Amino acid sequence: MAAMASQAEHLGLLNTLAQKTREPEGGSPPSDYRALVCIFFFGGNDGNNTVIPNHNDANVSPYAAYSAARAPQGLALAQNTLLPIAVPRIGGLSYGLHPSFGTITGGINPGLHPLWAQGKMAAVTNVGTLLRPLTRIDYQTNPTWRPRQLFSHSDQTNQHQNARADVVMLSGWGGRISDRMTISANPDRLVPTVNSLNGARLFTVGETTQPLSLGPAPAPLSSILALTGYNGTAVSNARLAALEGQLDVEQTHDIVRASNEIHREAIRISRSLNDGAEVTVAFPNTGIGNQLKQVARMIKARSALHLTRQIFFCSLDGFDTHTGQLVGQASLLGQFSQASRAFFDEMTAQGIADKVTQFTMTDFNRTFNPGGSGANVGSDHAWGNHQLVIGGSVLGGDFYGINTSNGTPFPTLVNNGPDDADSSNARGRWIPTTSVEQYAGTMAKWFGLEPADISYVFPNSDNFSVMDLGFMAP
Amino acid sequence: MKFAFRKWSSFTVILLLSAFGAVAQNDPNPDSPTPWLLSDGDATRVLAVNSRGWNGGVPNSGRLTFKPSTSTSITIFVSNLELLPGEGSNSVRVYLTQRSGKTFELQTDRLIQATKSVYAIQLRLFDPAGYRGQPVADGDSLIYLTWRGLASNQLRIGLGSTGGGIRIPSVPALAASQVEPPTEYVGYFHSGDRVRFLEQAAFGPSTALDLRLRRIGLRTWLAEQFDMPYPTFAYPDRAQMPTATTNCTATTNPNCFREHYTMMPLQKWFFTEAMYGNAQLRHRIAWALGQIWVTSGVTIQQSSHAIAYHKVLSRNAFGNYRELMYDVTLNPAMGFYLDMARSTRTNPNENYPREILQLFSIGLYMLNPDGTVQLDNNGDPIPTYSQENINELSKVFTGWTFCNFTCPNSAQGIVNYKDPMILIPTNHDTTAKTLLNYPGAQNTVIPACTNCTTDEATKAYAEASLNQTLDNIFKHPNVGPFIGKLLIQHLVTSDPSPAYVGRVAAVFNNNGAGTRGDLKAVVRAILLDPEARGNLKTAPRYGKLREPVQLISNLTRIFPAKDYNGEGPSDGGLASHLVPLGQDPFNSPTVFNYFSPDYVVAGTTVLAPEFEILNTGNAVKRTNLLHTLIFEGLTANATDSFRGTSLDYSEFVPAAESDPTGNQLLDLLNTRMMHGAMAQAHKEKILAAVLAVPATNPIQRVKTAAYLVAASSQYQIQR
Repeated sequence: MAAMASQAEHLGLLNTLAQKTREPEGGSPPSDYRALVCIFFFGGNDGNNTVIPNHNDANVSPYAAYSAARAPQGLALAQNTLLPIAVPRIGGLSYGLHPSFGTITGGINPGLHPLWAQGKMAAVTNVGTLLRPLTRIDYQTNPTWRPRQLFSHSDQTNQHQNARADVVMLSGWGGRISDRMTISANPDRLVPTVNSLNGARLFTVGETTQPLSLGPAPAPLSSILALTGYNGTAVSNARLAALEGQLDVEQTHDIVRASNEIHREAIRISRSLNDGAEVTVAFPNTGIGNQLKQVARMIKARSALHLTRQIFFCSLDGFDTHTGQLVGQASLLGQFSQASRAFFDEMTAQGIADKVTQFTMTDFNRTFNPGGSGANVGSDHAWGNHQLVIGGSVLGGDFYGINTSNGTPFPTLVNNGPDDADSSNARGRWIPTTSVEQYAGTMAKWFGLEPADISYVFPNSDNFSVMDLGFMAP
Repeated sequence: MKFAFRKWSSFTVILLLSAFGAVAQNDPNPDSPTPWLLSDGDATRVLAVNSRGWNGGVPNSGRLTFKPSTSTSITIFVSNLELLPGEGSNSVRVYLTQRSGKTFELQTDRLIQATKSVYAIQLRLFDPAGYRGQPVADGDSLIYLTWRGLASNQLRIGLGSTGGGIRIPSVPALAASQVEPPTEYVGYFHSGDRVRFLEQAAFGPSTALDLRLRRIGLRTWLAEQFDMPYPTFAYPDRAQMPTATTNCTATTNPNCFREHYTMMPLQKWFFTEAMYGNAQLRHRIAWALGQIWVTSGVTIQQSSHAIAYHKVLSRNAFGNYRELMYDVTLNPAMGFYLDMARSTRTNPNENYPREILQLFSIGLYMLNPDGTVQLDNNGDPIPTYSQENINELSKVFTGWTFCNFTCPNSAQGIVNYKDPMILIPTNHDTTAKTLLNYPGAQNTVIPACTNCTTDEATKAYAEASLNQTLDNIFKHPNVGPFIGKLLIQHLVTSDPSPAYVGRVAAVFNNNGAGTRGDLKAVVRAILLDPEARGNLKTAPRYGKLREPVQLISNLTRIFPAKDYNGEGPSDGGLASHLVPLGQDPFNSPTVFNYFSPDYVVAGTTVLAPEFEILNTGNAVKRTNLLHTLIFEGLTANATDSFRGTSLDYSEFVPAAESDPTGNQLLDLLNTRMMHGAMAQAHKEKILAAVLAVPATNPIQRVKTAAYLVAASSQYQIQR
């Protein structure tokens, strides 16, 4: 029965099944609620200017090491602008967040920085695409152990979203979690488990899961999938019957059928999406602000939609800062911080801050060594990066991840140093010590993914000894 | 009798053409025969044998069941193929559909002539892509093949066992289409193929173009288009403005701002040219090239900059690819967009060198001449370049920047995007560089400059280095199949057979006169290929989703666009309506275009790039825009469209008026919108809605039918 239901979803027959049948084998859905919210920074966020050393300990890349490498071309952030965060994992040393994570001009809230001290935000450091744990020697001597097409936007974006660095895989880890959990967690769902605010991105697509694509606020939920031009007259009803009826014609053409399924699903779901109670916290009127506002509405409507598990995909574009990085990245991180904070506050207002976890991903890190100089200064494509996790169940206020050769999870900031993939013309592309699988797997476990399903969602998980990095409360 | 009549007609055509002064070139019958899979026994089960035991002939009966695996090689038999010289196993694609609903493309190894009329196809019960797993021993499955966009009959094949009750789908019966009067049977009389051709080579079929094609045929039309003056409507002439918007801001002088600091003038001109222009083919190719060599108004600040860039694309659309590479490389808009304009000896930038390889020329993996990916001994794809290559190429592209002082369009206080970039000698890296190495690569080393002691010497060295590097890239064997496939995807079909890609790549490699990279020859090869041509294509994966631009432009040509009041022409202010559909023209979100050429529809194995911008969210917006455009028209507004746009149905109203049953109207729409491919069941759905509209309101009947066709996936897939 389970197999049949997932096949039905694949064939777009969910309409009848989802509303009429309950899974006898799946048991009753979980009594609690949980949601994962991915915020993807398209273009490759420069993590080296997102989490920065703010200490003088020469053993673990102090601020001076950072400054020496980046200040001459003007890419170093001044130490007195950094927003300090204490890191117990590294002896309580101080690191700093980019100043855009604090109060900013035109902002509407204090930003994400205060959540660090409140223990609601953590950083997972030096994360990246890996096939298996990889030392610098391994990297240099075993090219086949490297992820496919390092430093290519499209490939590295995909590998973050599908958690598979060795072969092409056309499903993402969000979609695959849904493949395994939807039947049991959301047996009576009126909309799919996975919702995307940026189209059917790889992260959101499973082998059997298809996401719901939603437009952002301010459009109300009731309007975003509504057909216009129908008014209930006989002529109008006949036209609507034809519009829907022609979706069933000529299912023998694969491309026509694929298009029909999307249209049919949209019309079906539009009948379930009503305007529930509005969110109460103010969201910034930005792209990411309006995406997260729509997510907050969908979460608020979860009971009416019969959902106990939800996965969302949001995104922010423009991080490919080969040039003009100082202004560009500051603006983007500010938009992110303001929107993410508003979302956290809204979840708190809804009383479910500990049920909802936001996390970041991006194509890759950027070269430690800047490109260009002055106002044009930027950086190029690199690898291991730092990601942020935000929510009431995050064991925040610390760094997480597998240690680098310096004994901490933060890389040694030295071009051609022990963590640099480059050896000639070395520009500082950190070899990750923590894989996307480990980062994602920690959240998947919190979300409720059964141990037996880990290898389905993360096919290379056996290559990594630890699949729970410990940053989520049980 | 009919046959004789046609012969006589073509004779008349030649006479007529001579009178018009055009050179008549014969167009062959566009329809390839439909391949037929031979069956065993009851006519529903494929005739198949294990390849190992096959004796070379056509067996009387075949084995019933097979085990799906990489090593299981079976031989099936097909008749009714008429192969071109060199057309081999990569021209046929064999698909397997199982009870799970999954469809797999099986690996075809050999195509062997078994008898005079029967070919044997040897294949593995294995999907080399394996995106959605592999076939399983699940009882009866369906097997069929496609060739030149035509599907064979479907037959059962037992995997592991027989039985399981899978049904052979029936081929949908087609509705009638408008029959052309016999007196019009002159020239290129294949009305289905004419419409299809104009969907591929133009921004949609119009009555005038259709008549022209009928008169002169495809080849002559192409020749005419290659020489057609372009553009019909002059490019907008916008001044280059200072980078600071001081006296021309969005708030204080919004009109000035929109004209100079947004893509609006280019967008309006683009749609005007698409709707009404004469040089349709050049406009179409320039649009396709602009989706490969992407720049974007998201970053490019001014309309004048983007217009200068579009001129480079349109000027080179029928030129040589190598010249296009050079011209784009030194174009300031591209220089700004991918940062080459700021790449210097001390800070070389990797952006342009990486993308010119990955996106504009050779792609990530070594390709076979037919565009399939080469695999190494471990079965892994072979990368075309490494980070080391990028580092080396980055040095070549250093030192070039805007010509702000000495060029024709240089002016005080502005950055010059109209003239090509120039070299600042002190910013160029004069050390040695190593270029790409590949089979047949020549001149792969640029030695360090030994005489760069004067500006002139350094400039000459940098220019020579650039040309040597572009030659090195241009001559890479990947370029033909890589670019050929991309152009096929933009014009004809999302998932062309390797044989089709191979034929186009061969023309890229050599236009017949020894020239490599002749885009005119490449475009001709794409559009005249037997996989492109034909009145009706039946393969389940043939065709492409119309991107929003094509969806709307086609309608504005079938139902000639006017302004909102229906009085004069539309001003082309359509772009803002396409933003919610995921395609803001000239404002691509990234250098990766609106959609990726590798996008596979979620949950399927269907390669269909445009689906990356079709989802539940904007599918409804497509339908809603069609409703507004067709029923109401797009109103004028004070920002981007002072005149608005509406459609003219006058060519269609008489059919609705004269036939209250609605059949004539549907037959006509079937011909004009769907080249006769509308299924009878589809027609019946629409007819029911049409008949609900009183016959006394024929225009409303036309709008209702046009809306339903336009909103249907059957129409939105160009095929």
